[in-house]
Amino acid sequence: MSNSRKGGQKMKFYGYPRPDGKVGARNYVALIPSVGCVNALVSHIEHMVRGTKAISHDQGCLHPPADTEQVVRTLINLGKNPNVAAALVIGLGCEMAAADQVYEGIKESGKPVDMVVVHELGGMFETINKGARIAANMVFETSGIQREEFGLDKLVFGTKCGSSDTTSGLSSNLVTGEVCRIMTENGGTFIQGEICDIMGGEYALKQLCVDEEEGEKIVDAVRDLYERGMAVGADTRGSQMTAGNVAGGLTTLVEKALGANAKGGTVPIQGFLNYAEIPKGPSGRYIMAFPGHGFENLTGSAAGGAIVHLFTTGRGAPNGNPIMPAIKICGNAKTNVSMRDHIDVDVASVIEEIETIEEAGQRFYEYAISVANGKLTRAEILNFDSGMEILIKGPVM
Amino acid sequence: MTKYAKLIDEKDNVATAVADCVTGDELTVKSKGKETLCKCNHDIPFGHKIAIVDIKKGDKIMKYGEAIGSASQDIRKGDWVHTHNVKDDYKVLDKDGNPLPGQED
Repeated sequence: MSNSRKGGQKMKFYGYPRPDGKVGARNYVALIPSVGCVNALVSHIEHMVRGTKAISHDQGCLHPPADTEQVVRTLINLGKNPNVAAALVIGLGCEMAAADQVYEGIKESGKPVDMVVVHELGGMFETINKGARIAANMVFETSGIQREEFGLDKLVFGTKCGSSDTTSGLSSNLVTGEVCRIMTENGGTFIQGEICDIMGGEYALKQLCVDEEEGEKIVDAVRDLYERGMAVGADTRGSQMTAGNVAGGLTTLVEKALGANAKGGTVPIQGFLNYAEIPKGPSGRYIMAFPGHGFENLTGSAAGGAIVHLFTTGRGAPNGNPIMPAIKICGNAKTNVSMRDHIDVDVASVIEEIETIEEAGQRFYEYAISVANGKLTRAEILNFDSGMEILIKGPVM
Repeated sequence: MTKYAKLIDEKDNVATAVADCVTGDELTVKSKGKETLCKCNHDIPFGHKIAIVDIKKGDKIMKYGEAIGSASQDIRKGDWVHTHNVKDDYKVLDKDGNPLPGQED
């Protein structure tokens, strides 16, 4: 047995080394608007310069301070994501999420980073002229970076479930939980969240926390979601259980939550992360306060440092993220036919008992490693990956 | 054609049908290689749950090895188990274990 394999599983991957010691699965020049007002301009640069990825979003201004802080943190940490080789920050000049703060934050990673501000340069044409040239030079300088072999201590996966159905809790989520076990036992880091889905299963997760205080933070996040729902007259326990869930056979919120939590199996939880926060502690499984909604969710995961996202689905969710490949895994045999253009990994075999969860878990793990090594996901191939949003709490002014 | 239901954890007292089932169907309940039979007392759609043992009113409904609710009436082996015979006991609790306001039974 070679040292790169353990129990038949590949325990190495090939990624792009970064100056801060992190390792990426992709090698993009990120175009990061500090405020949604400049999205059109950012889109022009993206189309002009190959190798760039626009991280367009609609936030960055007229927030309460806590949201401004969250938007800035998110943009900095997206720039720090190891899939980003270099970053160009594009500001308008009057926004709350100041471009220079984002620029300075990303600079800490040691990566090439630059900034253009529309008000200083005098409009779209001047900003594109300067910004596109900077971006082109960044691609020129970074596109030759070679992949190297690394251990799983450099590997970070995120996960979520979307457009779920009853097969999610019977197959794809359980299989993903097995991947979580394999990769964390070998030094990897795994980020899970979706506070809405945790609701009902928060105490089960708390029991898995290595530190009780961190576990209490998970419960607090659920309380916060409930209280914020009540503030607008909604019992989030009820709105979380959709009519479709009940028609599909889910009876209680706890049942739904346990099926969703299964994406991390029974792997011990190292800590709780705020939205878009990079884990600072030991490797292993983390719970991030990201929501279920796909755009804010994937953004939070990418900002947390995930280089590949394991996206379980039942009915077929097509969306990805600009800088982080999202693998779609599905256990619904019908969806695997009807949505075949969007599904990467078919685990209907688990429901039919052709394959055990352990076998499917190993297969999915090896597939995820191949995506980390460069294999494109369906969402990437289809360019179904531009959707992006940053979680805010509001109110919007 | 054989119709199956999946038992996820050995502590569970319900299994999930992975075929549309009608009253009288004999389901094969699969759990990690082990198989048992259970006859449907009701129509049970794909993804819905069937009781694999008798469950008394007030007893916990177990799935994933955890309590997902409690029986709101006596449930017989083979019965369809859903919102009509299961009570959702979940409440968001404060630090002292008391329900936060707004969660009436």
